[in-house]
Amino acid sequence: MTVAEDVDDIVGLAEFERRRQRVREEMRQDGLDAILAFGPGWRRENVRYFTDTLLSGAATFALFPATGEPSAFSTRRADLPAIAARGWITDAHLLDVHDPAALTDRLRDLRPARLGVAHYELLPALLVRALREALPGTEIVSASPLLDRVRLVKSDWELARMRRCAEVCAAGWQAFVDVLEPGLPEYRIVAEVEAVIKGLGAEDNFMLIASGKDEVRGMTAPTPRSLAAGDMVRTELTPQLNGYWLQICRSAVVGPPSDGQRRSFDLFNEAVEAGMAAVYPGVTAHDVAKAQNDVFRKVGFGEYCTSAYTRVRGHGHGLHLDETPIVEGNETVLPENAVFIIHPNTYTPLAGYHVLGDPVRVTPTGCEVLISTERKLFHSTKGITS
Amino acid sequence: MKRGLVLLDPAEVPEREWRRRVGALRERIAADGIDVALVYGDVFRSDDIAYLTNLCVYWNEGVLAVPATGEPTFLTKLSPRVYPWLRRVSTVEDIRSGRNFADLVAAYLADRPDARVGIVDAGLWPESVLEQLAARLGGHRVRELGGLVRDLRLAPAAPEAGLLRTAGALLDQAATAAAAPGLGVPERVSVAERTLRWGGYLDVLTQPSATTDGVSSLRITGQYRTCWLQAARLSGQAPWTARLTAALDAAIAAVRPGVTGADLRAAAGTLPAGGELNWVHQADLSTNGEYAHADPAAVLAEGAVLALAADVLFDDGGYAVVADTVLVTGAGQETLTRGGAT
Repeated sequence: MTVAEDVDDIVGLAEFERRRQRVREEMRQDGLDAILAFGPGWRRENVRYFTDTLLSGAATFALFPATGEPSAFSTRRADLPAIAARGWITDAHLLDVHDPAALTDRLRDLRPARLGVAHYELLPALLVRALREALPGTEIVSASPLLDRVRLVKSDWELARMRRCAEVCAAGWQAFVDVLEPGLPEYRIVAEVEAVIKGLGAEDNFMLIASGKDEVRGMTAPTPRSLAAGDMVRTELTPQLNGYWLQICRSAVVGPPSDGQRRSFDLFNEAVEAGMAAVYPGVTAHDVAKAQNDVFRKVGFGEYCTSAYTRVRGHGHGLHLDETPIVEGNETVLPENAVFIIHPNTYTPLAGYHVLGDPVRVTPTGCEVLISTERKLFHSTKGITS
Repeated sequence: MKRGLVLLDPAEVPEREWRRRVGALRERIAADGIDVALVYGDVFRSDDIAYLTNLCVYWNEGVLAVPATGEPTFLTKLSPRVYPWLRRVSTVEDIRSGRNFADLVAAYLADRPDARVGIVDAGLWPESVLEQLAARLGGHRVRELGGLVRDLRLAPAAPEAGLLRTAGALLDQAATAAAAPGLGVPERVSVAERTLRWGGYLDVLTQPSATTDGVSSLRITGQYRTCWLQAARLSGQAPWTARLTAALDAAIAAVRPGVTGADLRAAAGTLPAGGELNWVHQADLSTNGEYAHADPAAVLAEGAVLALAADVLFDDGGYAVVADTVLVTGAGQETLTRGGAT
């Protein structure tokens, strides 16, 4: 273990103690005797919050009682030594979803009067029924909102991890630009980006992409479409490092940008800056979204801020990549040290769907941009004949 | 995560094969007296939906409604903005979006008030969705069904065999390159990702591990089109490594139609202390078989594709695994993830 890892380990245990206190405070307010965090394969953020461990089981759980020591469960036995080695939870068990006695026996011992299940909304029927059978007198409720609340504000320890992830975002975007050339299919751009960010230790990545000209209306998983000169290639690239996701949104042109593409960039950059200017501790998600949308409304593009053309004007980041949505109508308050991306991504007739955005942290006086990548309209010259 | 190539190519899987798959499900539900089958999937476990339509649930969740007569309909929380792409890469024309599945299903069934509804693999649906459906579909007869689509997926059709061989050769190449001496864990994962995604893999799941005596392993589970395969190789040597790889080799050699998991374990011989020999059908590989019912009496059938893995969990927490994917043939097996497959 390096000195840096050793220090991270010691501070990490302090972080776990902070989380214990924070969660127990919320549990008292909600009248919960225990929280059972469920992690299906695509939503492990709450289990990670309690274990700080990269898990691969198809179903994982962390059981956190109001008093006493927590336990963890996974359907994959390779996860068990990883949980124990991290040390936040030392009581780890293999779980059979068809006979979940390892979990239900522990719950019977606890006899909670009121049990909160995080991601109760995703818990498979066979497991819900096993819980109800094991705990006939227990009131079982969703604890998803509780965990969303406690994860919203990031500690210094978490922000340090997110800043490291910001470096991976920057490297991923650079790899994206470096590989662009006419004839390259979209899915091979993704292959190259994946290789670079995984080489830097990224655990996962969420990425959408689109290439083409002003006919492009949105992004999807990559296609076999080959790039052509003049294409704008858009992406949202979202690596996960040490549990924490961070996103960068950019667009790049294959060859020299057109006037429309430049004007499009200027408009979207103004919207990003307007979103950033709106940020202060206590601002709502609605206000940050409205500040961005108003830039489009001002030039007669208000319709392109509707659900017919776009989804959100950003979203929270952390142990999940798509936390609270930055959208008009969402009155969630964003306190100091909340982290989210501001991205006004949408279609306009200027150059088709445009993607631009930076992740920010709420500071006492405004916001801090977490990534170092310049906000500009990138373009490649590889394979372009003048 | 599903961020690789999604492709609908009639040269690979002809239209008649897609029709055959949906037709086979229709026959099953009609025999059960069901008018509409509902199939659930999320980004992590959506193989039933992909098998029937080639739809890629690349984020969030989806429900496929398959009527006993008529074409399937995809119910999704994704935006209508992605409909053109969903239609381009799948066989589905009718796509409907909404905020919750109960409302979407109720609207879908609005003109079929007497329809008998079957929930496919009901135990794996989120219970909250089932409860919302039950509340919204009060006038309908709703019945929970088993894994009807998974059952269909147990026997790959002829067009899949070619895809499996292509995918197996790529995975062998990736796993071997990633096990090269001198690479650290991130470099191993990087090599695997580049090789597989450059070759057209849709999903790549990597699980690196290490033992305290200096042996590392990388288990790679990947999705190519709608096929799943797995391979794991060791890097480094220790007194137990030869026994672990020999156990896997012996189990693979024992694969043939009619054998059971117990037969394969017996063939594997003595594993290092803490060792296990397991097999997972490709139909269950996206979850490494962790949601599948373990039936000790189940026998291997000709045409089945399975991943065999010999792994060891040491008392000190060290872990290692070797694995390969095989196709059960009439004469024995064809190892898809070792040289020779083309």
